[in-house]
Amino acid sequence: MKISNLERQKNEGPDALPSEERRKFLKFGLGVTGVFLGGSVLSLTSTRNALGEMGPVPPAGKFPYEPHYSMVIRQNRCIDCERCKEACVRTNNVPSFGYRTTILELEKDLGRGEKERVFMPVLCNHCNRPPCVRVCPTSATYKDKTNGIVMMNQKKCIGCKTCMAACPYNARYFDERKGIRAVDKCNFCFDTRISKGESKTACAAACPAQARIFGDLTDYSSELYKLVHAPEKVVWVLRPETGALPNVFYMND
Amino acid sequence: MKRRIFSLELILALVALVGIMAVGVGQAMGEGDEDGGKIIFTKPVKAVVFDHANHLAQGLDCESCHDEIFQMETGSAEAGDDFTMASLYEGKYCGACHDGETAFASNTRCTVCHIGVKGYNKETSTGTEEKKGHE
Repeated sequence: MKISNLERQKNEGPDALPSEERRKFLKFGLGVTGVFLGGSVLSLTSTRNALGEMGPVPPAGKFPYEPHYSMVIRQNRCIDCERCKEACVRTNNVPSFGYRTTILELEKDLGRGEKERVFMPVLCNHCNRPPCVRVCPTSATYKDKTNGIVMMNQKKCIGCKTCMAACPYNARYFDERKGIRAVDKCNFCFDTRISKGESKTACAAACPAQARIFGDLTDYSSELYKLVHAPEKVVWVLRPETGALPNVFYMND
Repeated sequence: MKRRIFSLELILALVALVGIMAVGVGQAMGEGDEDGGKIIFTKPVKAVVFDHANHLAQGLDCESCHDEIFQMETGSAEAGDDFTMASLYEGKYCGACHDGETAFASNTRCTVCHIGVKGYNKETSTGTEEKKGHE
């Protein structure tokens, strides 16, 4: 190995190194020094096995997933009846001090003294590059390898709330109730509905105006796919500048 | 002495009665108002506002809607099972005018009338939230 070659290599920087990678690296170090993998404390013999622990660094985002769950919000249809919120609370045991989805309100100035009310439903965007997953020190929050849903493993959560600070969408809350005491969030009703064969999340099913369309972005026949790819429609995401590549798409129809 | 207490009770009772009546009138969306005031519908969805003043300013009068399209009695429209958007598209209730010709169509500009739970809370709160903020 030539030092001069190494010097010419680009610094990866901290952006490309998620917590999980750091943990793997530390494990690798412990493996080299023989604390793990059956070596004695001073041995350096088990490096080959230790290297196996390291694994290749995965690309920044491996997508699409299959199924690639996402949601389209037809914003102009939302009338803030909040049936989605009620359904979510009922389905997912959401405490009164938190929310998994909520409705934001803004007033658009149309000029000539006219104003327009706009209701904007928000929820976890299940980003392809989730900032919350990147910062979690215990891997308690993770991106599901098959369907891409950003999940919580509450047993691992230490309640540091770093993920809450990292989330660009304010989609997480700390469930401080006794026996839980962990961060919680929307998981597209995976445990309560989708894994049980339901085709819609509780919020999408409760919406009287079909403002929320849930589906699989890789399923060409799904309504969601057709909406997102309708050539005459403008589709946008919230806070694209964060580079999180969200999976909740907004449009007016 | 006994008489004084009695009169005090009477005054208190009267004050309470007036208070209850005032609240009752307020809930009925200003029955005493000349133009019927603001109506906030909460069924079948929360919540839709109808402002009499806005519609009178467009040149309508009471007979334009009462009693053929809407009965004057508070809550009579909401009591019907057909007080839905589908009915409006058929020309019933608000749809009689909101058909895209007389006034903007019922399937456009949803949030002009649909004020939502947030709008409902704003319309019905009596400034208690503001007080909290100053405490």
